[in-house]
Amino acid sequence: MNEWEIATAVLVAALLPCGWVCVRRSFAEGAVAVQLAGTIGALAILVLAEGEGREPFGDLAVVAAPLSFAGMLVFLRFLERMR
Amino acid sequence: MSVQDVAVYALLAAGVACELIACLGLAVMRGAYDRLHYLAPATLGGILIAGAVWAREGPSGIALKATVVAAFLLIASPALAHATARASRISELGDWRAQRGEGIEVEEP
Repeated sequence: MNEWEIATAVLVAALLPCGWVCVRRSFAEGAVAVQLAGTIGALAILVLAEGEGREPFGDLAVVAAPLSFAGMLVFLRFLERMR
Repeated sequence: MSVQDVAVYALLAAGVACELIACLGLAVMRGAYDRLHYLAPATLGGILIAGAVWAREGPSGIALKATVVAAFLLIASPALAHATARASRISELGDWRAQRGEGIEVEEP
């Protein structure tokens, strides 16, 4: 296991607090957690691609980051309508 | 261990540490607005990780992808944080602008 794979494991473990906030807290706080999870997830894929030496896997990170952004905008639209 | 390796390890460790700080802040803080502040270290972490990839690989395909991801995070993350705060205020108060009683000077229309 090289240092990049260790970094990937740490980043994946860092998703757990985000999941905890999503499950236990309000919709608005969960939206913040999903935003952070999207950032960490994209970076974890990028670090894994570098650690495995497989450049095409980096495309997943390039796609995941904008899709996470677009998905969050939809969640925020729902949040605006919740009163 | 070469200078290049030291730079790679330092940048990677700093990037992952920033992500952990962001997660810790998210878990510890109370309320959506306090938690929003901890999205900034996550963006900085992305830039540092992209720097680590650049330091290890130099100009290459994966370094270009890392730069694209970091640049996107740098642009999108503050905008999304603003949109989240705005949506949260609309959800709570019906309007995102300052309300009377919040201790903020409100201009008369």
